[in-house]
Amino acid sequence: MKKLLCALAMMLPLSVFAVEEVYSFASDKQRQEFKELTEELRCPKCQNQNIADSDALVAQDLKRKVYQLMQQGKSKGEIIDYMKDRYGDFVYYQPPLNPATILLWLGPIAFIGGAALMVVRRRRSTVSELDAALLAQAEQLLDKDQTQENKP
Amino acid sequence: MLAELGHFSLVLALLMAILLAIYPMWGAQRGQVLLMQTAKPLTVGLFLFTLFAYLCLTQSFLNNDFSIAYVAHNSNSLLPWYYQITAVWGGHEGSFLLWVLIFAAWAVAVAMFSGGIPQDILARVLAIMGMVGIGFYLYILLASNPFERLLPFFPVDGRDLNPLLQDFGMIIHPPLLYMGYVGFSVVFAFAIAALVAGRLDSTWARWSRPWTLAAWVFLTLGIALGSWWAYKELGWGGWWFWDPVENASFMPWLVGTALLHSLAVTEKRKAFKSWTVLLAIAAFSLSLLGTFLVRSGVLVSVHSFASDPTRGLFILGLLVLVIGASLLLYALRAPQLRSVGRYELLSRETMLIGNNILLCSATLVVLMGTLLPLVHKELGLGSISIGAPFFDQMFVYLIVPFVLLMVMGPLSRWKHQTLPALRNQMLAGVGLSVVAVALLSFGRDGLSYMATLGMALSVWIAIATVQEIRQRLSASKQGLAGLTSLTPSHWGMVMGHLGFAAMIMGIAMVTSYSVERDVRMTPGDSIELQGYEFRFLGVEILKGPNYSGHVAKLDVYENGRKISHLEAQKRFYTVQRNMMTEAAVDPGFTRDLYVALGEQLNNGDWALRVYVKPYIRWIWGGAALMAIGGLLSMSDKRYRMSKLAKVRVKSEAMAGEAA
Amino acid sequence: MKRIGLFLLPLGLFLLITVFLLQGLFSNPRDIESSLLNQPVPTFRLPDVMDASIEYGPEVFDGEVTLLNVWGTWCVTCAIELPFLTELRQQGVRIVGLYYEQNMDPDFGGKTLPEIRLDIDKTLSQLGNPYVFNIFDEQRDTSMDFGVTGAPETFLIDRQGKVRLHHVGDLNERVWQTKFLPLYQELSQ
Repeated sequence: MKKLLCALAMMLPLSVFAVEEVYSFASDKQRQEFKELTEELRCPKCQNQNIADSDALVAQDLKRKVYQLMQQGKSKGEIIDYMKDRYGDFVYYQPPLNPATILLWLGPIAFIGGAALMVVRRRRSTVSELDAALLAQAEQLLDKDQTQENKP
Repeated sequence: MLAELGHFSLVLALLMAILLAIYPMWGAQRGQVLLMQTAKPLTVGLFLFTLFAYLCLTQSFLNNDFSIAYVAHNSNSLLPWYYQITAVWGGHEGSFLLWVLIFAAWAVAVAMFSGGIPQDILARVLAIMGMVGIGFYLYILLASNPFERLLPFFPVDGRDLNPLLQDFGMIIHPPLLYMGYVGFSVVFAFAIAALVAGRLDSTWARWSRPWTLAAWVFLTLGIALGSWWAYKELGWGGWWFWDPVENASFMPWLVGTALLHSLAVTEKRKAFKSWTVLLAIAAFSLSLLGTFLVRSGVLVSVHSFASDPTRGLFILGLLVLVIGASLLLYALRAPQLRSVGRYELLSRETMLIGNNILLCSATLVVLMGTLLPLVHKELGLGSISIGAPFFDQMFVYLIVPFVLLMVMGPLSRWKHQTLPALRNQMLAGVGLSVVAVALLSFGRDGLSYMATLGMALSVWIAIATVQEIRQRLSASKQGLAGLTSLTPSHWGMVMGHLGFAAMIMGIAMVTSYSVERDVRMTPGDSIELQGYEFRFLGVEILKGPNYSGHVAKLDVYENGRKISHLEAQKRFYTVQRNMMTEAAVDPGFTRDLYVALGEQLNNGDWALRVYVKPYIRWIWGGAALMAIGGLLSMSDKRYRMSKLAKVRVKSEAMAGEAA
Repeated sequence: MKRIGLFLLPLGLFLLITVFLLQGLFSNPRDIESSLLNQPVPTFRLPDVMDASIEYGPEVFDGEVTLLNVWGTWCVTCAIELPFLTELRQQGVRIVGLYYEQNMDPDFGGKTLPEIRLDIDKTLSQLGNPYVFNIFDEQRDTSMDFGVTGAPETFLIDRQGKVRLHHVGDLNERVWQTKFLPLYQELSQ
């Protein structure tokens, strides 16, 4: 009997134990969704950290709540709304869409559009070197005219 | 006594900066050689006085002189000596002293290694640096003096260095980053000097290029090192957090990258002149803005120094003066710049300007994402957060056209490229990369679109780089021997682009295919992850010079064979009363095994986080390749000063013809 | 001349940014407006921390202007504000405690309820007791409904049971005078 126990004990480290996860999930898809959610929700207490990384109590609470809501079958959007109801837009790392934040998307697009337009127009306006030189001369004259006109 | 000497030395450095800002500039405007010649000795003086002050502070740290407030706040007699030396830049005041020291070092480098540059230009460049320097030195003397004494009552021992900073990565991260930030001041000075002098021919671009490359190399390494350091030190296994302060270093990098490429066009093709000047101003301006964001506390960040509104006001004033004045000068002078080089729509010029535009819009994304929460709140619209989901989304959109242009650019000729030739090359490239990606992802279950896209883009860049070299070789008609005839700066481009490809590969793989588990373990437990078995041996007590804590020991097995032993630490720094995780990492070419130790739970179990991170080394490896590329480009003969001297003669001859 | 306009654009953008940066210097980026502002308090049904047989709900705020103070004996800053809160109680301000405990969490220490009650008695007898009663939020779910991020935090609740002010951090003389008092007086009239 003693021998058997010894043998068992020696075998123990070799077998893989099912380790308890802090949060356990039915599927990898759920685990992935939990990871995404906790990485995209911001800890309302700490410096700039998401709730997955933060050790603050409130971050732990929010993580647990996310888990509970997921177990209740709530969708990602519903969970984010739940958090926003309590902690405001601040709690979610994706900014809400409103007249001020629309700049975030429109700004870069407008910049690319405007700059591309300028490149094309510039190039077109300098079709041949001769034309370009003439144009430049003309522009200079125009500038001079304008400055003279502007003078009282 | 040392502190007073150091302080006085800084005052003398300020004096040097003031003289440097006045005499050489005056001389250059009046054409007086004697005044112009003062630039060099004044710059040397600036550097020596700053160096002396810096050494004084370092020695005060080594002496444990806690009567100096800065030393008392950032050091401790138990701190190992090497950390006492690096603690000099562990806080706000000292790190700014390092900043001005590096600034002075750059200025001296310009003064020493610019023999080939016309004297009036050099005098102006150094004078501009002197002007910027006045602001820096005034700031350090008036608003953040590192030599301030805590008299008559001073502590017996210091408050210790922030434990986050007691690490090898932290020893070199800030200096590298500052080398990059401040390095852009040289390029800035060249641009402003050229604007002041009204001489913006392509020689300006050639002079600026090695300096831009140098600053960019440092910034690249500094950012990569910061990312690597955060990865192993913060215990979250992340490598980039889109934190405002990270963004602040990323913006000058993006603009600096754009500047490198547009300088190439300006130098070789005399096009995009006003655009290039604007980028040179922007790169340094964004470096200054970054400094403001880190040191003023206007944004919530993990990295900020203790905030102080008077300091913030001072830097903001400096910002308005330096950036405002240079942008005003730009607005007045730039319209006179005429780009001479002509090019067709399908040409290397267009591809390069296209990528410049994309890089700048990426900068705009980061800038707005960083500052909009502040604006949003000040407008009374409430607090919002802008983080990873937003930035990731935008960068995925931007990277696709960016890679497209990056592939087309090197394959295209200057001025004019015929469509069929380019199309054939591109089709071949796309075909090959699709095949390669199919092979690479064969047998992987749970394919991610993002990872596949990233892999495809990465492989495509690599293939296009090879195609471009082949194209060169067939043009030179020497076969493989032609490889030796390629210039170092060409190899620099090849390395830079390959490094970028490696980085995209790493990012794509690590974001999509990382796995992690948050587990509770008792000694003897095992967890299997991606075919690796992590066996938890137990936790032991840890005792360091200025900390105590726990170390978790694990063995890792693959197919029943032990491949690694990991020791993840959790340290408690007694003086600062701070908990720190030191993650255990088993690095590998295709994957990292990463374990971080958490809390001890009530029943004696330990919380552990276990990660397998595929290809994460490729991110930093890619950055290192890019930096090597930059160094190769710098080593190109045409930037040597003897060559530059010849260029000068030529450019003067050209200027003569033009007139 | 119209070309200059284009070249002035970077300067204009830069100056615009500096205006906001200047404003930003004088405001705290960590001040976050509560999303409960001018909303009725969330519903809850929780026991008294000292006596589980007594239960409270949102009706405890009806008819009286109340300060709801989130605190715990483990929280260092709370201990600092207790004497001032006690002073306020002596001036006639009604203060209700929302007891927020982290040490009962198995991951944070695992104290038992009797131990916590002892701690509370000890702390309040030493530093003063500002509370009419203490609501015990063991799971911290109600705190989450209130948008509490930690302790100490204080809510000003009007006679209709609506949240009018949410302060994060300790409540001291200066904060009371500048942030709370004007609104408190207005609501008390």
